Amino acid sequence: MLNALWIVLLGMAIVFAVLGILLLVMVLLSKVVKPRDKRGKKG
Amino acid sequence: MDIATGEFLGFLNLTWQAVAMLVIGGVLVWLGIAKKVEPVLLLPIGFGCILANIPLGGAAEAGGFLAVLREAGIHTEIFPLLIFIGIGAMIDFEPFLQRPYTILLGAAAQFGIFATFLLAYLLGDGWLHVLDFSLQDAASIGIIGSADGPTSIYVATTLQSKYTAAIVVAAYSYMAMVPIIQPPIIKAMCSKEERALKMPSVAGTISQRTKILFPIITVLVVGLLAPKATPLIGCLMFGNLLRECGVVERLSLTAQNELANIVTILLGITVGGMMAGTEFLRPETILVFILGIVAFSLDTVAGVLLGKLMCALSGRKVNPMIGACGISAFPMSSRVVQKLGLEANPHNHLLMHAAGANVAGQIASVVAGGVMLMLVPMFI
Repeated sequence: MLNALWIVLLGMAIVFAVLGILLLVMVLLSKVVKPRDKRGKKG
Repeated sequence: MDIATGEFLGFLNLTWQAVAMLVIGGVLVWLGIAKKVEPVLLLPIGFGCILANIPLGGAAEAGGFLAVLREAGIHTEIFPLLIFIGIGAMIDFEPFLQRPYTILLGAAAQFGIFATFLLAYLLGDGWLHVLDFSLQDAASIGIIGSADGPTSIYVATTLQSKYTAAIVVAAYSYMAMVPIIQPPIIKAMCSKEERALKMPSVAGTISQRTKILFPIITVLVVGLLAPKATPLIGCLMFGNLLRECGVVERLSLTAQNELANIVTILLGITVGGMMAGTEFLRPETILVFILGIVAFSLDTVAGVLLGKLMCALSGRKVNPMIGACGISAFPMSSRVVQKLGLEANPHNHLLMHAAGANVAGQIASVVAGGVMLMLVPMFI
């Protein structure tokens, strides 16, 4: 039973950690990559 | 003639289990056609169930075509992975990329998986021993809470659960029942004032470069941190890359249509073929279905609770209901929240916010499945 409790605690912790890191990377990506300004393009 | 009549007349060999399963198969087909409940899946599953339970038919026995499909597509885990390429090609992640914080709602809404796993294990080998649930079975039952059919199949098959067929049928059935399961829970947890809360629209668009980088980065981050999730997230993101890169439209359309449709037919009929009466009709199957509802409900509760926290921390800029979309039942969950928002305030359009959390939940459920596959073998 203790094993199962460990799986629950570690499981949720890892899910939040992995997705939290993905969130940080995506926020960083949004700062680095900006949408291109299309005003200069030919119609 | 030496051959007894009972050896070639199927109806003389009918057992009560076979009759019950023929009725269940018929009900699934009826639900799909008459009630339009997930017809794309329930129709092939129901028909496969009928085929598998015709005495002397041999469709699901060794060498039969359903047994061959099961061996080739389910035991090898190929079918759920191919389906994920199609799903990835169908999903537009823009609502999520505009609101990346919704990934945390997706994470919270995986709580039902782990809580249900614990509950199943306590009922089984973990404590009470009233049901034949091993650690692997409990984990596979918990994964119904991923609200994601392919992930459920992948995890249950990889962990070699005895209840794979019941788990898959429960996962797909409850996805169709999200509009029934979620509203009472959301209404119980969110006041009318909270449900009426409007969210500010998101300014700006997402560049194509970001959309192309997103699947690649996601595979790298998730794969390197939770490697067991790599096949699932890899196929999902590969399909999405086909969609977003803009140079392989033919492949993208094939993944969205022909590939997804062919594999859905094969997967559905094969899962139905796994519903042989002697294996399916046992008390544990009923418990699998009950625990499936528990998983969906706890997912919703956990998602809404984090939604409430975000609402408070953001100065009421987040409607707590979108937390319920952290489960990956896309797009049913988003539609539920949109409907509840409009009921509380006719000008409250939450669909895109909810869709952001919903597609984030798709990624989160895959990660949760991978984490389960990583942790369970460590504790056996």
